[in-house]
Amino acid sequence: MSKHTNDTETVNPIILFSINHPKFITRLMTVITLTLITIAALPNFFPEQLPFLNTLQVDTDPENMLSADEDARVYNAKMKKEFSLSDIVVVGITNDFNNNGVFNPKTLNNIHQLTQFALGLHWADEKTGKQAGVIGIDLLSPSTVDNIEQGGLGSVNFSWLMPSAPKTQEEALKVRERAKKIPFLDGTLISDDGQALAIYIPITDKHLSYEIREKLLARIAEFGEIEEDYYITGLPVAEDTFGVEMFKQMAISAPIAMLVIFLMLWWFFKRLIFVTSPMILAMVCALSTMAILIITGNTIHIMSSMIPIFIMPIAILDAVHILSDFFDKYNKIQDKRKTIIHVMNELFTPMLITTLTTIAGFASLALTPIPPVQTFGIFIAIGVFLAWLWSITFIPAFIVSIPDEKLAGFITADTGTKSDHKTLMGRLLEKAGNFTYNHALIVVLISMSTIGIAAYGISKINVNDNPIKWFNADHPIRVADRVLNEHFGGTYMAYLALEVDTENATNIDFKPAMLERLAMAENNAIELQLTHAKNIFTQVQSKIQNHIGSEQLLATNLLEFLDKGFETSADNEFDTWDQVQLFIDSESQRKEIFKQPDALLYLADLQKFINNLEVVGKSNSLSDVIKTVHRELLLGKAEEFRIPDSSNAVAQTLITYQNSHRPHDLWHFVTPDYRKTSLWVQLTSGDNQDMSVVEQEVANYISSHPMPHNLKAKWFGLTHINVVWQEKMVTGMFESFTGSFIVVLIMMILLFRSFFWGLLSMIPLTLTVGLIYGFIGLIGKDYDMPVAVLSSLSIGLAVDYAIHFLSRAREYTAHHGSWEKAIGPLFSEPAMAISRNAIVVGVGFLPLLAAPLVPYQTVGFFIASILFLAGITSLLLLPAIISLMPNLFFRNLKNN
Amino acid sequence: MNLKHIILALSCSLSSYAALAAPTVDEIIHKTNYTSYYKGQDGKAKVKMTITDAQNRIRSREFVILRKDVPTTDDLTNHAYQGDQKMYVYFTRPADVNKMVFMVLKHIQSDDDRWLYLPALDLVKRIAASDQRTSFVGSDFLYEDVSGRSLAADKHVLISEDANYYVVENTPIDADSVEFSKYVMYIHKTTFLPIQTEYFDKQGAKYKVYTALNVENIQGHQTITKSEAKNLQTGGSTILEYTSVAYDTGFPDEIFSERFLRKAPRKYLR
Repeated sequence: MSKHTNDTETVNPIILFSINHPKFITRLMTVITLTLITIAALPNFFPEQLPFLNTLQVDTDPENMLSADEDARVYNAKMKKEFSLSDIVVVGITNDFNNNGVFNPKTLNNIHQLTQFALGLHWADEKTGKQAGVIGIDLLSPSTVDNIEQGGLGSVNFSWLMPSAPKTQEEALKVRERAKKIPFLDGTLISDDGQALAIYIPITDKHLSYEIREKLLARIAEFGEIEEDYYITGLPVAEDTFGVEMFKQMAISAPIAMLVIFLMLWWFFKRLIFVTSPMILAMVCALSTMAILIITGNTIHIMSSMIPIFIMPIAILDAVHILSDFFDKYNKIQDKRKTIIHVMNELFTPMLITTLTTIAGFASLALTPIPPVQTFGIFIAIGVFLAWLWSITFIPAFIVSIPDEKLAGFITADTGTKSDHKTLMGRLLEKAGNFTYNHALIVVLISMSTIGIAAYGISKINVNDNPIKWFNADHPIRVADRVLNEHFGGTYMAYLALEVDTENATNIDFKPAMLERLAMAENNAIELQLTHAKNIFTQVQSKIQNHIGSEQLLATNLLEFLDKGFETSADNEFDTWDQVQLFIDSESQRKEIFKQPDALLYLADLQKFINNLEVVGKSNSLSDVIKTVHRELLLGKAEEFRIPDSSNAVAQTLITYQNSHRPHDLWHFVTPDYRKTSLWVQLTSGDNQDMSVVEQEVANYISSHPMPHNLKAKWFGLTHINVVWQEKMVTGMFESFTGSFIVVLIMMILLFRSFFWGLLSMIPLTLTVGLIYGFIGLIGKDYDMPVAVLSSLSIGLAVDYAIHFLSRAREYTAHHGSWEKAIGPLFSEPAMAISRNAIVVGVGFLPLLAAPLVPYQTVGFFIASILFLAGITSLLLLPAIISLMPNLFFRNLKNN
Repeated sequence: MNLKHIILALSCSLSSYAALAAPTVDEIIHKTNYTSYYKGQDGKAKVKMTITDAQNRIRSREFVILRKDVPTTDDLTNHAYQGDQKMYVYFTRPADVNKMVFMVLKHIQSDDDRWLYLPALDLVKRIAASDQRTSFVGSDFLYEDVSGRSLAADKHVLISEDANYYVVENTPIDADSVEFSKYVMYIHKTTFLPIQTEYFDKQGAKYKVYTALNVENIQGHQTITKSEAKNLQTGGSTILEYTSVAYDTGFPDEIFSERFLRKAPRKYLR
């Protein structure tokens, strides 16, 4: 292409360069994009040859909503380790064709076989050499758990609940009868109605759950004709499945949105050649951004997987503005180079500003305390910048490359369209323009009343999230979740850890009580006629009385004293010293808090309180274990289902429990030093708001019922983590929104060099956000994570139309001399561009409503709403306000 | 067989009775059974049990173990040594299980009788004999490891041997009654002590290993004084250390009775 020297307008050098070297720009864009994609893609195929490059990582772990060093996560990881808690795949089994549910020989036989199969699902990991897969020793199934019962004639019996598949119906019912009697199993292994069973399969790594699930399903298929239904769920399964669905969404939803936008653009502009450039631009921006995301080692998360869907409308927005404007101006100017220069001059500043405001809106997400949201915000900002860069270079370059003949045909086709033969939309816009001018007050009043309704809606907003509800209601995961929560005590686990608050130690004199216990030990020794008992115990007594310092130090001193005693004493004093040692040992065991009856009674009472909370299905605790064993030791009498009276009795009950097949089960409830215990709470709902209520109620209970032994309680488990990140999200998003709102307002004031114009340009954005959230509150949709990030998207999109509209309004008013005269022209081309834009991009996102993942539906629906609302408010309310107070806004104009 | 071999065989027979002729698997397992559970007419030891879990958290227990055989001979011929046994396990530590007693009357022909005395609950409980393969007080040893598994419960095959060990594979006759598919013993050729025993689960994976860590000669009996059970599934392990081991102390039969559960025979437990 030859250099033009007869340009009538000067233009930004970047744009000039682009229209002078269109091929170079196109090649540059292609090369950069392909390079990015290659660097992102190659290491996935050749990880060994390219170890320095990051591979694509999918992250579906809701825990990652919090950064790895977040208190709640660190504590959760620590407690999971201390209580040896693993991630669990849950297999629920129901049988609706049998009166006894699954408790018939055939079904139980299948369950027994499935259990044996699951027990074999482990292997040596290739990298670590450690066992990976199912953790057999912790698997809960009728075949692997103990039945504890008193076996008649004063004997206690530990036997497998179901050592082999029952052969008769009586035996099958016996399994049910036994399991119902053991609190730990009732409502967990066996359903409350006694019809269903659940197998809990712990796994070494949650990322194996999809694989394990597939293997289990294959084994179940081998059973052939069966009456029972198998439901496989559990959080790791949900997460893994979500990852798979997420990829499908990225592969399906984004291209469908692209296709719809493509068809809409084609319908508006009629010329394929015009339509291809925004599509190329959208592809380039979405792909480059995702490539950069992967290259920089960030993960594909539920949030980051939506990046392409957010970038595409924004990328297309600017291109559509340019094309729309070009489309109109070319008819008049009839020279593509002159037209594009004119259009770019007109749009350069608004486009730059809208880009900056969008970047500000999304970049502000980096200030939220939620890492996936930070990544999301930062990368959309990057994508938006790319979109601007290629919009001002590639789009003009593309247009000037279109052969003149093609453009000529374009003119002939459209020159017939005179202003009085406008399209339906053109006529509508013209009427709208007149209406806003003539009935400005009505428009403003209507707007104000909608704000009132929106404010009411916002006051009704319900903050809540639940990762399981990210699936559609009819998704197998949701179905399994529903069935299991109907039958069992709940599949959502929360854990309450109780431990001694070491930072808050009490300063009670420990000596008097200790000396009292020593006196008892001494009497005991004298009764046993141990040699020199009186003498030796008096020495211990004075040792304690004369001690100055901590209890800890005393314990050390006493042990030293004891060692010396054993060394130097005569042989016949050995038993006496042994008795002293017994005393010292039992003193040190007083630190084993969760062998003390008062601590266990508190735990039992707390548990009783928790069990009565609405969403709590059941709970399990150390006190249940102790009560059950105690009952079975004492002939199975119901009144013996209690905590024994002394710590020794508790210890001996517990050691009896450990004489079972699964002694390690105890360590899920208490640490071996008996200083920390975990209370398992099963919730029938995974809603954060329900968990919040439980946490609040428990906090209230604890404050009105002070805990013994200076204990403190702290929640852990994923259900709790969800609550923590949700709280952070609500406050974080509010701060981030406020911050970016102020930044954008300042930018607007600077752009228009006027406080009132700046404020005015924020009105469509404010109204859109208000209406969106008001609507969410009114229809009762939960304010969850996808909803939270919509506020940023609103800043990104809603202010754009206001900028375009208002900058033209000022230009046209200056050009035509008055606001009244400017209305007409303003509502032809600029209003048309905004309307087309809102419709094309808005409709483009409606296909997301068909997605099987709820966050995508939410985003799809609300992007469309934001665009329509922002378009409508920009076109109706802004001119109405100006019409009411033209003097305020056009003071300078008058003076000029 | 040439002359050289005959001379070699003769020289071996002179140096070691055991190598006089290659013993049959039956002889091996009986000798092992004897050295493991039947040495002397009675035996006594103080035992320190240290249970370590996968996170290196340690619990310990101390007890005194008394054992008395019903047969009055150690003669291996015709399995005369083998017979009913009585066992009394008296716990001393931790303090909260002090005076707890576990007693076994082991019968060759029928199920064992087992009792547990819980002093804090003042409760004597019989433990049902149905399953002996449960944990012994929360350790990685099972009740059956303490009292000894009946030789008749398994099929025994000598699968290999080397300079030091006979390797005997044992498979349960009633596979449904146990959680293992087989166990393999490495039996020391001269002492017939099982130096290592490995258990395999039903999927064929090794999941438990017992190892003798220390052997001492006590009153002419080669005695394991330190042994370990390692649980490969949990990552935990238990070590037993035996002190004050004595054979043929001559304690009376009467202490192995319900009466002595509540009132421990202190004099024999020192």
